[in-house]
Amino acid sequence: MNRMHIGKDFIPPDIHGKVTGKAKYAEDYAVDGMVYARLYTSPMPHARVKNIDAEAALAMEGVVGILTADDVYPTEAPAPALLTNEPVYVGDPILAVAAVDEKTAEDALKKIRVDLEPLPFVVDPVDSLRPKGASARLEGNIYPREMREMRWAGSDVERFVSGQEPTGPAPTEWSYGDLEAGFDNAEVVLEESFVTTGYAHMSMEPRSVLSYWQNGKCHVYGSTQSQSFVVPFLARMLGIEQKDLVFIAEYCGGGFGSKISAYPVLALPGYFSRKIGRPVMLRITREEEYYVGSARVGFQGWIKAGFTKTGRVSAVDLYIVQDLGPKQAGGDASSAGGAVSILYQPDAMRLRDVPVLTNTTPRGPQRGPGQNQIAAVFEPMMDKAAQALGLDPLDMRRLNAPDSSATLNANQGPITSAYMEEALLKGAELFNWSERIKRAGQRNGSKVTGVGVGQGYHSAGASGYDGLVRLTPDGKLHLHSGVGNLGTYSYASTTRAAAELLKVNWDNCVLHYGNTEEHLPWSSYQAGSNTTFTHTRANHVAAEDLLNKMKRIAAEALGGDPGNYDVADERVFDTRNAARGLTYAEVAARAVSLGGEYSGESYPEDIHEVTQRAVQGLAGSGLIGVGKDKLPVRGTVPGLTVGFAEIELDLETGKHEIIDFLAVAECGTVVHPQGLAGQLRGGAVWGIGMASLERHVYDPQNGLPASVGYYQTKPPSYLDVPTSTEWTAVDIADPDNPVGARGVGEPAMGSATAAILCALSSALGGHLFNRTPVTPDLIVNHVSGQGQSFDPMAINSF
Amino acid sequence: MELVTVREDVWGREVMLGVSWDLLWVVLALTGAAIILHLLIMAFLSKAPRPSAEGAQLERHAGIDRGFHWIMAISVFVLLFTGVLPIVGVNFDWLTIHWVAGLILTGTVVFHVLRAIFWQRPKDMWVAGRDLREPFDESQKPGKYSLAQKGMHNAMTVLVLLVIGTGIALFAVMDTPWWTRSNALDEATLGWMFMLHGASTLGLIGLTALHVYFAVRPEKRFYTRSMISGWISEDEHKSNHDPGRWSPDQST
Amino acid sequence: MAAHDVMPDIELFQPVTVEDASTLAERLGSRGWILAGGQDTYGWLKDRAKSPRAMVDLAAIEGISGIEAVDGGLRIGAMTSLTTITRDERIRADFSLLASAAGKVASPQIRNQGTLGGNLVQDTRCWYYRRGLSCYRAGGNICYADSPEGMNREHAIFGASRCVAVSPSDTGTALVALDATMIVQNGDAERRIPAREFFVGPAVNITHMTVLRPGDILTAVELPERWAGADFYFEKVADRNVWDFALVSIAGAFRSEAGTIRDARLVCGAVECVPRRLEAVEAAIIGKPRNEETGTAVAALASRGAAPLNFNHFKIPLMENLVKRALRA
Repeated sequence: MNRMHIGKDFIPPDIHGKVTGKAKYAEDYAVDGMVYARLYTSPMPHARVKNIDAEAALAMEGVVGILTADDVYPTEAPAPALLTNEPVYVGDPILAVAAVDEKTAEDALKKIRVDLEPLPFVVDPVDSLRPKGASARLEGNIYPREMREMRWAGSDVERFVSGQEPTGPAPTEWSYGDLEAGFDNAEVVLEESFVTTGYAHMSMEPRSVLSYWQNGKCHVYGSTQSQSFVVPFLARMLGIEQKDLVFIAEYCGGGFGSKISAYPVLALPGYFSRKIGRPVMLRITREEEYYVGSARVGFQGWIKAGFTKTGRVSAVDLYIVQDLGPKQAGGDASSAGGAVSILYQPDAMRLRDVPVLTNTTPRGPQRGPGQNQIAAVFEPMMDKAAQALGLDPLDMRRLNAPDSSATLNANQGPITSAYMEEALLKGAELFNWSERIKRAGQRNGSKVTGVGVGQGYHSAGASGYDGLVRLTPDGKLHLHSGVGNLGTYSYASTTRAAAELLKVNWDNCVLHYGNTEEHLPWSSYQAGSNTTFTHTRANHVAAEDLLNKMKRIAAEALGGDPGNYDVADERVFDTRNAARGLTYAEVAARAVSLGGEYSGESYPEDIHEVTQRAVQGLAGSGLIGVGKDKLPVRGTVPGLTVGFAEIELDLETGKHEIIDFLAVAECGTVVHPQGLAGQLRGGAVWGIGMASLERHVYDPQNGLPASVGYYQTKPPSYLDVPTSTEWTAVDIADPDNPVGARGVGEPAMGSATAAILCALSSALGGHLFNRTPVTPDLIVNHVSGQGQSFDPMAINSF
Repeated sequence: MELVTVREDVWGREVMLGVSWDLLWVVLALTGAAIILHLLIMAFLSKAPRPSAEGAQLERHAGIDRGFHWIMAISVFVLLFTGVLPIVGVNFDWLTIHWVAGLILTGTVVFHVLRAIFWQRPKDMWVAGRDLREPFDESQKPGKYSLAQKGMHNAMTVLVLLVIGTGIALFAVMDTPWWTRSNALDEATLGWMFMLHGASTLGLIGLTALHVYFAVRPEKRFYTRSMISGWISEDEHKSNHDPGRWSPDQST
Repeated sequence: MAAHDVMPDIELFQPVTVEDASTLAERLGSRGWILAGGQDTYGWLKDRAKSPRAMVDLAAIEGISGIEAVDGGLRIGAMTSLTTITRDERIRADFSLLASAAGKVASPQIRNQGTLGGNLVQDTRCWYYRRGLSCYRAGGNICYADSPEGMNREHAIFGASRCVAVSPSDTGTALVALDATMIVQNGDAERRIPAREFFVGPAVNITHMTVLRPGDILTAVELPERWAGADFYFEKVADRNVWDFALVSIAGAFRSEAGTIRDARLVCGAVECVPRRLEAVEAAIIGKPRNEETGTAVAALASRGAAPLNFNHFKIPLMENLVKRALRA
């Protein structure tokens, strides 16, 4: 198909600012009279605030005020609190102090006496499940959507920590198919216990926020992944109406799931500013970002999988203890089960889940929450099964690969489309798999070659959101994007679906985004890899509305039936006489004079309140195209990826080098090649981090975190990743998206993690470590035959 | 000046770290002042004739007790120097010497306590009511040990037991050839242990200095000799002790 | 608790002579802080984990940076940047061991700014200590790392005495192997300290990693002719390849004659509070060829006496493997 925009690269409007350094992130703003807030956070993993004595601090010159939990909205456990009188992890914000400069604020913190009573705490979920284990919160120790207490018998704990089949009760369970029959049909049955570390999101931009009040409106400059989606939540947190919130998040220096919507800190300066009557800047430090910035849910689990003689996955029994941290979280286990159900299409499956609270950093969704942890577990198992059955690991994956008839989750629901085998084959050819796999295990001095393939999945599309486009009398097409600028460029690339339909040159398009005052429509959360699918649809719907209105205006002005009109070269014309037509500028001018639905004086009732306000704000400025996406969608929208890796592992040092890495995307039609490349490469870097580097460490004796800086947490450095990461895409259109696109951001990480772990395993003759990260110490210990320093289920193993 | 040093524990709460070592200089100054004062007083007092060391030798300390005393003396000195020198900035590998000497001291003290209880008359060493008359009544002469000696011994007993007790407690939180450290003591308790260990050390420094001072004073030197060779002369016995309360055997 | 982020108030002295710097540092005592490249300094100060009252900046002092030839060896000013060391032709020709070690420090940006002196006197990376806790090394009376459930993967397997921190310096390991001499000035007086004696363990001084005292300024490092042009081996194993500290590193210097080793130095980093000379290995390889067989035969000597903690058993085979590699190369 000959397209103007879809599948073509372009320069998103935020690029120039990023390259030149002129981009303004939240903490780059300054307003008159601004004061600086600083947080006083809990030094204890769990405590009760008995008294706060801030007298000395408030008496200091330059100190403007203090904000405590009593000043902000109340919360019920385990909802995240803005400020708290019952801190539940080291670093939990108790109060904030504001001063004329940051140094004074920091000095003031030293003078504040907070009297804390220590409460029982726990940093390892399994410790909380022990018969006399501590509960992370006063209200309980598990959160299966409600706070409860649950303990296992001592024997259950012992079995679990030694890696045997769990016998402890699990509060959540789902299943489908006949599990027993599935294992009976299996030629090979594998049982493995596993641990995946729940490490920090580490957004490069800490979540700094500036807020002030002006004429009854609260202005918030923040760092969020989403834009419009944040508005209702933040307004509710601030206790104001949505119309009274001005929210600016033009740039976001990384979120990875930790800044999807309104997080507590985002509302803090608003409260503080209201209390002290001054604009408040809260700059979050790197260390604080490790506290309030959240982390991935950690898994300790056990899995049993059956494989038939031909290599089909016949049954999977999955048991996961989730580390939720101290607050609301916990979709990861179910998502992990979902990923297994779609990627391997097992005949029968059961998932049991024990969501346990701990006094560690709050957890939240992190790039492929659940799917990517389980990729690190199941993919190496696939290799082990392949080895046992004498199959090629790639063939084994092809055999189980989901196609468009695939089903997933407990309800075995349908999907829109899937072409995983095509992805595997395309990658295998480009990577030269059949030759490379022969090199696996080859020794060269102390080095041995490893080759691995890994798969990733995430549901990658939603529907029901709004689109808003506008044609102005100057002939410009204004694309109003409520999508957040989380770094994927989808805020811009999805609007190109509208430009495509309306056949407008990109030069004549004006993008509006990043600020509620730009009149932005209601948009989905920029998470779950959904934006590309969701908002190409919404933009298409809005463009369709605009197109129809143009035709009607033209027909009214020039005669004939609107159905006889078409558009090209930014003109709407009569197909029977192309000379008869109006330029887009003329149509827009007519729309303004026509009023009504044309110029946004009226609008469909089913659009969201946020979109309604946006249209109201734009009314009379041009021809408005607006609509809610009600296009059909037949099922879950899968985002699928495959990673191929060749590594060289040094058996003496435990270090490995990634020789080559290839990422393959199966995400329908490619909308924005450079954006996709960024996702696949970035996903690979994240995958490398998860597979072999990034960690989260707590001292169980006092609940102190070790990982509060880049150095301790160890995200990959530029010499830990391959110098170039190749990528390709299957590029087969999805039937439920007007441009054929699906999302893909998250699985790109899981498939990379899996590929690296599989490659490590292949270098070691099939040995599975069953944990992430696989660090040099694990390898050196394994190769030397001396065993690891800790039990199979141990977390905090550094 | 602070009496104790205070730090923040792992959770930022104020916790005692131990005794303030500034007190070391106070103790040294006070002890020095006491010695100088005593020297001055003694210089002004009329000098009584010294009893003769000639004549029959009466047994004051059995060989085994003398051995105990000197082993203990050496270990206390080693403990004091290894414990205090690093604090005043003389850095060396002191800890192993310190705890080995501590174990030796503990062993000898245990031995001494058992021997005193079962084979000796511990009462000889405890201050009794009549001992208190000694300083005010020239005619009151002590039994085997004078009030000053008993006082010194009793004070030493308290301090040594304290320093040993706290020392053993601190053993639990360090690695030794027999065990690796535990978390048996929380930081507040640990602070108390260090404080008592340090405070008793300061007391021992003062007492030891006084003890050494008296041991080398001319009129007491025969006691020092008796701690080396075991005997005092009949004359020394007669002029310093009440034979009714202590009549030692002839030294063998 | 506060997570600090801005520089606290601090007085800044910028002397132009070593004598003045020394006088200032001595007068300030424990309230003072010597500033070289600042790569260790600013972390401590901004975190307020250390709170000196004044900094003595050595940047304006002439004559303590740069590289010059002396008596067949080299004299390297303490303020010489690590990047300069990695690129210097004389060092690369005769003492490539040091160039290799300096080239493995942190990241290019840090090497541009960081100095040799700073890399040698930087403080340990024990995370408990860096958190600002009042541990032994910070003058307290507890070690949080060496406790029954302490997180101590990166900590010592040798020479622990209450504190189990390890030497973080890559160049320190190389300099001990090169029998370097540290030139330390205090007032007008100059001391020459063998590299090996420059570093001290917790048994001797639990709060300082070097012999430097208030008023001491490390001005230069001298590399003696003894090892000029010898065969060298340096390897650093760290979790990450950039901006990380060694899990274990090794520096080797060898003089061979007629196919056998005549003289050797082998020093491991990150296994003890000081760079650890592997004397037993050094003695065992004299007279033997530098090859795989010799490496395999002596490797176990390297880790003799190691006392691993909860999470660092891996350092034993890793050390042995590095010895093998040094001898194989």
